[in-house]
Amino acid sequence: MTIQVKFAVYNAVSKALIILAFMALLPLLVERIVYDHIDKRLVARSERVLLTVRKGSIADIVREQDCSFESYNILKEEFVAIYPITDPGRLTAGPQIRNESWSIEGENLQHRIIKRPFLYDNQMYELNIGEGISAIDDLKSIIQRFMLVMMLAVILISLFVDLGFVRLLIKPLNKIISSKLQPVPSPTSFNFTPVESSTTEFNQLDARINEMMHKLKDTFLIEKEFISNVSHELQTPISIIQNRLENIMIESNVSDEVMIKLSESQRTLNRMSRIIKALLLISKIENDQYLKQEKVRINELLDEVIEEVEERINERGLKLYKHFYDDFNYGPCNKTLLFTMIMNLVNNAIKYNRDGGSIMITSRIIQGKFQVEIKDTGIGMEKTELPSIFDRFKRLNKSKADGYGLGLPIVKTIAGFHHIDVQVDSEPETGTVFTLVF
Amino acid sequence: MNVLIVEDERSLSHEMEIYLSRQNFNCDVAFNGRSASDKIHANSYDFVLLDLGLPDMDGMELLRESKKSGIESAFIVLTARGEVEDKIAGLDLGADDYISKPFSLAELHSRMQAILRRKHGLKSNVMRIHDFEIDIQNRTVHCNGQSINLTKKEFDLLHYLALHKNRVLTRIQLTEHIWGDVLEDDYESNYIDVHVKNLRKKLSAHGSVEWFETVRGVGYRVNA
Repeated sequence: MTIQVKFAVYNAVSKALIILAFMALLPLLVERIVYDHIDKRLVARSERVLLTVRKGSIADIVREQDCSFESYNILKEEFVAIYPITDPGRLTAGPQIRNESWSIEGENLQHRIIKRPFLYDNQMYELNIGEGISAIDDLKSIIQRFMLVMMLAVILISLFVDLGFVRLLIKPLNKIISSKLQPVPSPTSFNFTPVESSTTEFNQLDARINEMMHKLKDTFLIEKEFISNVSHELQTPISIIQNRLENIMIESNVSDEVMIKLSESQRTLNRMSRIIKALLLISKIENDQYLKQEKVRINELLDEVIEEVEERINERGLKLYKHFYDDFNYGPCNKTLLFTMIMNLVNNAIKYNRDGGSIMITSRIIQGKFQVEIKDTGIGMEKTELPSIFDRFKRLNKSKADGYGLGLPIVKTIAGFHHIDVQVDSEPETGTVFTLVF
Repeated sequence: MNVLIVEDERSLSHEMEIYLSRQNFNCDVAFNGRSASDKIHANSYDFVLLDLGLPDMDGMELLRESKKSGIESAFIVLTARGEVEDKIAGLDLGADDYISKPFSLAELHSRMQAILRRKHGLKSNVMRIHDFEIDIQNRTVHCNGQSINLTKKEFDLLHYLALHKNRVLTRIQLTEHIWGDVLEDDYESNYIDVHVKNLRKKLSAHGSVEWFETVRGVGYRVNA
């Protein structure tokens, strides 16, 4: 979920909650205000009635027969009633205001009623003044509806405003993400242009990312330069020793034993030279010193590799199965490098196979992507080993017995250079399968 | 045959000088571009072995300058850089071949022989090893008039051994010649032995191959 969406959701939910709470409280509030108002009026009216009663004779208003008085307006919204209190238990200390259902001409209506006892002529009376409150409910629902519409409008407007503002606010962040946090093939191709923003935090973030990438780039370049320089520097002494060995070997007085030792030294020296060449190759590819200008039919390339190793496959009694279901005209690429990459994988399949085993090379399109699969029935590898087989430094740490040289790191580097995905799966004693996804 | 070795690394030029002198080349040595330029213009060399990384100038510049002034020597460019671009540039400037360090002296020698054949037709295009005739031009081998069908690698192998006859060539030297720079770290393998075995089998069907000697623990030798 993006920040923008989160912000919007948060805003909408929080506002909706506030409004819900407000809507829930609103009837109580309205009621409170209206009752306050009515109560004041009722008290004032009761004062006025009592005043009238005291000034004149109660007989003026109380009917003779039952000593009570009742009067109401035409809509039965208001009434005044006076009753003598015969039962002292009903006597209240002072005026009381409460909601009560009052029956007027057989019709029960909710009223707000003030009840006020008073003494007149040694007789206790109770004054009741009521005001109809059915209109209040209508008022409440009208206000509620009005508020609801208002609030919804406010929420909607503020939602859009929020969205717009948040979008504007996090624009630099999005730019940082799109320009700085996308995967780059190497730190050298990182975009160091600062992202402009008036937000301090974003400026800091951008500056820190740039700083980190600068450090990374420096380290990366130093490492590559180091490997490249060391490799170069080592080539010359190796050349000298190699040539000296050759010169010693063609001298006529060299014994057989010395000859064997010399040829072993030559082999060791050659291994060293190969490692250095491999490191140089990797560092040159990583430094973009190779061109990508050719187009290659992958199946043709596979055939070329197979031709190179055919005799060796036969010699080891291996069976080679070719399944070229689809072909791919791949480019721009570097054919020599691609050849090396596939060669290394096929070599691997030969080297780590068992006698009489087989190698299967398949090329086909799966889910719109061209894939080459090189599968062997060899000794395989433990799953835990798989993540490190492409790591040049880990490879060099391994002893010859369980090491795989630099063939696979080279494969990875060449694949990376061409943006080809290399996948590996392996099962000990069953075999290994490498898949190149173009 | 006169050879000028232009190489600032003295130990290296010294080893090249020893080897080539044994092959009856007259060797001259220059350790920097200036002296190399002087020598190239003052003498007539059949070969100039030119290191690209000279202390005072780029070897490529020396090559350009020499070709411009009409020097007819065959140039073989030696470099530690191993760049494909260098190779192309070198050949474009008129170099006859290109070899990257570290190289084997036997390989260098065979390249020089190839240039000689190509340029001057000095050597016969047919080599004789006992009953076998190796036609380098047409890449065929005959024995008593019968043609022997060899694969490309088998032919290269036989040719290389014949070129360095009476001398042991190690498996490494042979592998490097046949496989060049195809990166492959599996040197414990019997790759070369497989080719030799097949080659011997094919040759022995036509005549005795006693001259094709296996030197135990080292490599192979053609005795002629």
